[in-house]
Amino acid sequence: MVVNSLAFLWFFLVVLVVYYLLAPKKVLQNFFLLVCSYWFYAQVDLKMTGLLALLTLIFWGIGHGIRIAIEQEKEQLASRLTTLSVVIGIGALFYFKYLNFFIGSFVAAADLIGLHLSWTASHIIVPIGLSFFTFKLMSYPLDIYHGKINHERNIFNFVNFIAFFPTILSGPIDRPKPFLKQLAQSRLFNPDNLMTGFRRVLWGMFMKMCIADRLDLYISAVWNNFEHHSAVSILFASLLYPFQMYADFSGYSEMAIGVSLMLGFKVAENFKRPFFTINIAQYWSRWHMSLTSWLTDYVFMPLNIKLRDWGTNGTIAAIMLNMTFIGMWHGADWTFFLFGIYHGLWYIPLMVSGQFFKKTKIQLNSYGLPTAPFAWRMAGNYLIVTFGLMLFHSTNINEFWAVLCRIPEAWNGGLFFDMPTLVNGAICSLALIYVDFQEEYFSKKKIYLPAWTERWRWELTVTVEILAILLFGIFDNNQFIYFQF
Amino acid sequence: MERDNILAKVQEVFRDELEVEDLVLTDETTADDVEEWDSLSHVQLVVALEKAFGIKFTSREILSWDNVGDLVDCIAGKI
Repeated sequence: MVVNSLAFLWFFLVVLVVYYLLAPKKVLQNFFLLVCSYWFYAQVDLKMTGLLALLTLIFWGIGHGIRIAIEQEKEQLASRLTTLSVVIGIGALFYFKYLNFFIGSFVAAADLIGLHLSWTASHIIVPIGLSFFTFKLMSYPLDIYHGKINHERNIFNFVNFIAFFPTILSGPIDRPKPFLKQLAQSRLFNPDNLMTGFRRVLWGMFMKMCIADRLDLYISAVWNNFEHHSAVSILFASLLYPFQMYADFSGYSEMAIGVSLMLGFKVAENFKRPFFTINIAQYWSRWHMSLTSWLTDYVFMPLNIKLRDWGTNGTIAAIMLNMTFIGMWHGADWTFFLFGIYHGLWYIPLMVSGQFFKKTKIQLNSYGLPTAPFAWRMAGNYLIVTFGLMLFHSTNINEFWAVLCRIPEAWNGGLFFDMPTLVNGAICSLALIYVDFQEEYFSKKKIYLPAWTERWRWELTVTVEILAILLFGIFDNNQFIYFQF
Repeated sequence: MERDNILAKVQEVFRDELEVEDLVLTDETTADDVEEWDSLSHVQLVVALEKAFGIKFTSREILSWDNVGDLVDCIAGKI
């Protein structure tokens, strides 16, 4: 069941009505939410529902054990249980997501040195949302061990946190503390939450269906047949790809956040206009924020603390490992590994020059927009991101290399111009760019609008968004790019 | 060393490391209250504090601090 499908709309309408009929009885609301979340997950991935439940129970049990160990001042036991939870989490990810990749790579490496192994990859189906819910699971024992949260005695609340249907498939990756706190309160019918949430859902649908899916028509047409396209077309499609990714994943996140808000939950934000950044460190602090902040807290920080006596070299080592994790989190292929390394390498000049440790404030001109040097740096950063995403988009290293080789070979051809796709895509993209500019640089200034629009602003915006989706949207239930992770 | 003196010394280290001359720390101050205090500068602060007080923190101690008060308590327990 895709979030922007009609099936989800009916499901959610029923959930919403029953959910608020049960208010203010939070126990009933929570129990109902739990049933809905598992029903939703079963619709998406019935076979793996048992695994989700089993892992949830194991992690709750370990959390319980850590609490008892801490209370009885058994430091070593608490530490061992925390390590066990990390091993189970990483083990589940490794088995389902990476085992075949490592077997394949090992066999290929052995082949190179003349050792012919007959190991074959097993048929393993990756549970949907595994990378997202495993990270949620792992943060729980780690937070208890570090004294950030207390063990949640009510197991149903913990199950609810992990399986929460708006975010289980593709995040945002929420943390136990804020979510469990919200579960402890009853969610009353709040028109403001409903209206704001609904607007965010519509905006997410607009980003996904009118921009991401539209641009995908062009990008896929060029990228999937790159042998027949000119260098200009390949470069143009590559330049569009970061924007498509942004519209796709940020669009999904808007929908997940909006649906959560309609149910009375504030979940983590995932994007903050990532292209208005002048270096890769700034970019990653605004792109897929719930993942990067998770990795900062649970991978980068512990590593950086452990290696703190090495000075800048320790920080570089921690960053390189952290970025490799980010790359590999996206999938089991050398392209993702190199994607992580590539981004990690861009941090080194920042660290050596000291820019990484000092926040550079973007200077604005009299119009309230970035000055030319900063605008150029933003453009340069977009190019750095684009090259990384070319690697990300390639199905394997050979394809990436073939695309790169095609570029100097095909300088003579013109631009492949798919008029309806590009015109429709450009109109909707301009709307997104306008909104992002508005929020980034002019949010404190009031835009002049006739007084009557103030009263009807919500209705007007919603109407315009619905009309735009109907006019420009692509209705083929296209999967979100991040569902595969 | 008195707890107030520890806080004063911690504040001095923070001012030097973060280059914010008028920074005032209280027990309740968190990283959210100080723009320059992020995951990176946090580790630099830890190293500077260890040097200033001649102590060594464990990873678990560092990761468990929620605010300046926790940090000061941790130092007080070591000197």
